[in-house]
Amino acid sequence: MAVSESHAESEKLHHSHLGRYVAVLAALVVLTVTTYLAAKVHLPAPWNVLVALAIATAKGSLVALFFMHLWDQEGANRLVFLTSLVFVALLVGLTLADNATRFPLANPPGSTGALPAPEYVPPPQGGATYQR
Amino acid sequence: MSDATVAPPQLAHHFESLEKQQHAARLGMWLFLATEVLLFTALFAGYGVYRYLYSDTFQQASRHLHTWIGLTNTLILIVSSFTVAAGLDQAAKGKGRSTFLLFMFSVLCGVVFMCFKAYEYTHHFHEGMLPGRYYTFEALGSGPGGAIFFSLYYLITGLHAFHVMLGMTVLTVIGLRARAGRYTTEYFVPVELAGLYWHLVDLIWIFVFPLIYLA
Amino acid sequence: MNPSPAGEASGSMHFVTDQNGYFADNYLVKPATGLRSWLYTLDHKRIGVMYLVGVSIAFALGGFFAMLIRLELLTPGPTVMDAMTYNRVFTLHGVVMIFLFMIPAIPSGFGNFFLPIMLGAKDVAFPRLNLLSWYLYLLGAAIAIYGMVYGGTDTGWTFYTPYSTTTATKVVPVLLGAFVIGFSSILTGLNFIVTTHTMRAPGLTWGRLPLFIWGIYATSVIQILATPVVGMTLLLVAVENAFGWGIFDPARGGDPVLFQHFFWFYSHPAVYIMILPAMAVISEVVCAFSRKNIFGYKAVAYSSLGIAFVGFFTWGHHLFVSGQSVVDGGIFGVLTMFVGIFTAIKVFNWTATLYKGSVAFTTPFAYFVGFLFFLVFGGMTGVALATLSLDVHWHDTYFVVAHFHFIMVGATVMGFLAALHYWLPKITGRMYSEGWGLVAAVMIVLGFNFTFIPQFLLGNMGMPRRYYSYPEKFWALNVASTAGASVLALGLVIVLVYTLVAIRWGPIAGRNPWNSRGFEWMTPSPPPVENFEKPPVFTHGPHEYTDEDPAFPAPHLAPEPKHV
Repeated sequence: MAVSESHAESEKLHHSHLGRYVAVLAALVVLTVTTYLAAKVHLPAPWNVLVALAIATAKGSLVALFFMHLWDQEGANRLVFLTSLVFVALLVGLTLADNATRFPLANPPGSTGALPAPEYVPPPQGGATYQR
Repeated sequence: MSDATVAPPQLAHHFESLEKQQHAARLGMWLFLATEVLLFTALFAGYGVYRYLYSDTFQQASRHLHTWIGLTNTLILIVSSFTVAAGLDQAAKGKGRSTFLLFMFSVLCGVVFMCFKAYEYTHHFHEGMLPGRYYTFEALGSGPGGAIFFSLYYLITGLHAFHVMLGMTVLTVIGLRARAGRYTTEYFVPVELAGLYWHLVDLIWIFVFPLIYLA
Repeated sequence: MNPSPAGEASGSMHFVTDQNGYFADNYLVKPATGLRSWLYTLDHKRIGVMYLVGVSIAFALGGFFAMLIRLELLTPGPTVMDAMTYNRVFTLHGVVMIFLFMIPAIPSGFGNFFLPIMLGAKDVAFPRLNLLSWYLYLLGAAIAIYGMVYGGTDTGWTFYTPYSTTTATKVVPVLLGAFVIGFSSILTGLNFIVTTHTMRAPGLTWGRLPLFIWGIYATSVIQILATPVVGMTLLLVAVENAFGWGIFDPARGGDPVLFQHFFWFYSHPAVYIMILPAMAVISEVVCAFSRKNIFGYKAVAYSSLGIAFVGFFTWGHHLFVSGQSVVDGGIFGVLTMFVGIFTAIKVFNWTATLYKGSVAFTTPFAYFVGFLFFLVFGGMTGVALATLSLDVHWHDTYFVVAHFHFIMVGATVMGFLAALHYWLPKITGRMYSEGWGLVAAVMIVLGFNFTFIPQFLLGNMGMPRRYYSYPEKFWALNVASTAGASVLALGLVIVLVYTLVAIRWGPIAGRNPWNSRGFEWMTPSPPPVENFEKPPVFTHGPHEYTDEDPAFPAPHLAPEPKHV
């Protein structure tokens, strides 16, 4: 299984890809400027986060597919990378879902939906609260 | 398939062929990159939760950061990623010296990145933008969101900076070996692996920049 | 197997054994003997043996802590120690057993030894990384034991915040020790995945892989994906404890339940790291000792992957009563139930394998029987605990303790013992005493029942876990549990004794004393350094008992085994 594919992947690496890299570099710079400008527009939540993540995902995909050669490589490597992303989404998603759907007072004081901020009294500086 | 009567010097005894060995090296590196991604995941999850809980404070705190430094650093890493990719291209053609120069340029970019971060951190220390119980920055109100933001800021950018330094070390070592002629058009997989690590460092920053600096 | 003209299997019979069938030029003496050759070895078999020695010592240490716990719980009030000491003892019992024994035992011990052999390979993909994994295990163990020597910590092995981030007990070295061992685990998993993908011998397709490989492969996937998260989490706790800043402090707006999310994101899949290799061993043992190929190979193989993946979606069932939202609680409760399906598939298939098989009731088979019984009941109580409403009553009681000990001791340790007895002849070339083996197995199974069934009852009656003292109404069952634990411990000590005797003085076992048709039995006992002279060519899967196989000639009638 692996031999003919690994042969193919090293074959592809022997061709020069410099033109491709320049194109990707240009796209990445453009997308970086785009995300900077999009932040200046001050979209309402949650759209600002979603737009930022979408642009970041596009940039990340370009880096992964072309700089890291996932475009030419065999399935196992792509599967490994994709799987790790799925698990990122899993941890972030379900943990965020917890805090977002809790009984409001179960969230830390001063946070969304919990005790209102003016009622929060920060502990004295230096952490004298605890026995150390 | 490799049919050399004399095994290439880089072929390890337990592999059938150099091709399989290189394929194994690549797969091993991708698995390692997956673990690095998962390492940052806990921090991103923490960020996600606390950004949800303290969204206003996080937005304000983000505006108190030097956005131009974040933007410059992002562009620096992108360019350094490009030169690493170009360096791999040169290595595939057997041009070790060019690989070395391109990798060293990326290392230089890394140095500049770290200098900017050092400047940023120093400024933060003066302003009282410190993590957890050391936080004394007053501009964000009395809520706890500011201290949490900066705890996460130092954890995420600190871990990332640590990986930048590791990446710089790897690029230097591999670059020197490339210049010494250790890689041929048939065998340059260590250059590939070093490149993959640096690209991951860039990839993580691509997500860090908008979340931390452009909240 | 591809027969050579002489009717011999390629790659195994070339090696010359002595008249008892013992292969003298084996990995234990080649390429060199002496401490240096072991400390610098790149041979996966030697590394596997070192792991087995290490985890056995860890098991003894964890078992010692367990006996201290049971001793303390003999009476309702203080018995032999004070409350703080008791807290430290159960914490160390958990840390040592889980991180130093359960996680590495079967994968790094038996997996290291047998994965390359079963694949027809000479070694793992990255032998130097393998040695590094071993040294990281030692380093992590040393750091954790340093912490223990200075009093350890009393946070429980779960290190819940905010106590773990604020306590002055020696939690930081214990955390760092676990962090380092985590990297050992990651690198081993990485090695095994790459080896399985790239180093299979000709003819060995994925559909012909031994089921032991499938189980170890699935375990390695979990190790790669889950361990970095807990590594980061433990580091966060250590930083917050040592330097006073972090994200879990409720007084500064942090959410301590966030720690629980991160911790259990690893620690739930971790329990599948512990059970999948044991299931993998059992798949081999059940085939060998019923002389029949597994019923439903694909189902058993894919269910290992199923457990590995679905196990990641269930961590919130540890947070049912911690303040987690009911929405998440419902999601996790339902997803947890799904994991049981894959285990049920395996149990059904193992049992179906026995049907019309030719069963030899040897010690490994005795452990298989124990394993099956305990896996079924432990698993069913797991599904019961996954029911959120029931867990409200049972959480943090002895019901949970009994449930996970049923799986971890009743299933995984039985799997480990089955592996030990099944593969001792291959690893050492010598055979243990079957009589003592069965005696110990019976003691272990009975002792286990007496230890943990009372704990189900105690938990249901409301006795909380990690409690140092308890009301008098729980006294009798606690005494029963301690009595059972003593029998269990004695059985394990007997195993240790006769295993050591066998290694030194046991009768020579020959290449294949079980007449098993698993691939690892093709090599001599003990195996040579390079495993095979040339890579074997596989034409079918393992455990094909239907006809004569030149790779597995019928054992000739050996002379009376001598004590060498």
